[in-house]
Amino acid sequence: MSLLSFYSRNSQEVLGLVGQHLYLVAISTGAAIVIGVPLGILLTRRPAWRGPVLGVANVFQTVPSLALFGFLIPLPFIGGIGATTAIVALVLYALLPIVRNTYEGVAGVDPAVREAGRGMGMTDWQLLTQVELPLGFGVILAGVRVATVVSVGTATIAAAIGAGGLGVYIFRGVAVVDDTLILAGALPAALMALAADGLLGVAERRFAWRGK
Amino acid sequence: MTGGRWLLSVALLLTACARRDQIVVGSKNFTESDLLGEIVAQQIERRTALPVERRFHLGGTFVCHQAITSGRIDLYVEYTGTAYTAVLKHAPVADRDSVYRAVARDYAQQFGLVWGKPFGFDNTFAITVRRRDATRYGLRRISDLTPLAPRWKAGFGYEFLERADGFRGLASVYGLRFAAPPTAMDLGLTYRALAEGKVDVIAGNSTDGQIKALDLVVLEDDRHYFPPYEAGPVIRQAAITRHPEIAPALAQLAGRISDAEMRRLNALADVEHRDIASVARDWLRVTVP
Repeated sequence: MSLLSFYSRNSQEVLGLVGQHLYLVAISTGAAIVIGVPLGILLTRRPAWRGPVLGVANVFQTVPSLALFGFLIPLPFIGGIGATTAIVALVLYALLPIVRNTYEGVAGVDPAVREAGRGMGMTDWQLLTQVELPLGFGVILAGVRVATVVSVGTATIAAAIGAGGLGVYIFRGVAVVDDTLILAGALPAALMALAADGLLGVAERRFAWRGK
Repeated sequence: MTGGRWLLSVALLLTACARRDQIVVGSKNFTESDLLGEIVAQQIERRTALPVERRFHLGGTFVCHQAITSGRIDLYVEYTGTAYTAVLKHAPVADRDSVYRAVARDYAQQFGLVWGKPFGFDNTFAITVRRRDATRYGLRRISDLTPLAPRWKAGFGYEFLERADGFRGLASVYGLRFAAPPTAMDLGLTYRALAEGKVDVIAGNSTDGQIKALDLVVLEDDRHYFPPYEAGPVIRQAAITRHPEIAPALAQLAGRISDAEMRRLNALADVEHRDIASVARDWLRVTVP
């Protein structure tokens, strides 16, 4: 059975799974930004915390997804089976690039520029919002871009915990050795990753020149 | 060509031949299959001079079948009922001897694969619930589940949802109508989800160690929906022709593992976290000295 006829016969289901996949990626990346960017900024103010925090974020990257799901199932609120658990896992995986790039972006601002701001009598808050964040924005965005593209791929493992998404086709295809089924899940996920990479790449270039 | 070079080429040629003459043993992606694969691998190593390469945890039934028919592996342990329904696509049948005979005949004719004698135990799908629920609702058989199903949640692995002897047939034979379509998830995570109360019924394997460890109850298949699932080695005919000594080595394992013994071995690996190679070695030393 060819991929096209598979899609035409299961169009409703495919669209549903694509929707679930986008939902998983959007919510998890959004949450990772909300948590990761302030955390990265905090690290520039508390340099001693940098090692431990990045270390913990690093460790999350190395935990296999099935093991992580196993730990999460018994937990109240953030655990169980379904979308919540999958999103928590995806947030943990997305944190590292966002936290690290936010730190690098803000800490990498030319000290002379920062001094000039201080000399003009800027408060720490003004310095952050008017100097450091605008100048570091390109680097922060690069972190978000990596996190998003990786999430589109990683979100396929959500199917292992009953959260749906395009991984459903991949898991079903692997279980019965059906290449069409595997491709039916893998191809749209790959296209989605390329699209996300392209869009965020354009945004990144637009902000990169402002930093120069 | 100098003498030294000539010797070197001969040595390289010999190692190349030796590499081709090894036996590759595969297994599916769960503990019992790894254990049986290891037992078979060690038995071949003990009884023959053949080197054995292990390709374990390959994936489900269909991945192993693909691997052996394409010659990537020479041997793996399969279950008669699985071969009968999932691979050969026959409708489930209850009689164990006729299933074994049909499977042995069709595998030889269609794939050039030989079925060795079964190990002696039967690993059927285990429709499993928590003991608390079994006591409260007086559940003993799968048909006791039918009236409760509309209020219950089920969680199954992808293979069980897809197979001919899987969920669809089970649901129609027992008239099971769950509150929502069963949650599709990784097989290994279903035990955890059941024990934690996230789902109410799962389809595990009757010889799994977790059933006892997590205090779960297996419901009796009172309408005999599932075929017998006797485990036995499947070997490529070509490998036996080249190395006939494999057959008597495997024959020594026939009928040596009871249901209880398999459960005990699985629990050693899954619950007590003993390493599979040492569980297999100890078992072989005691049972097939």
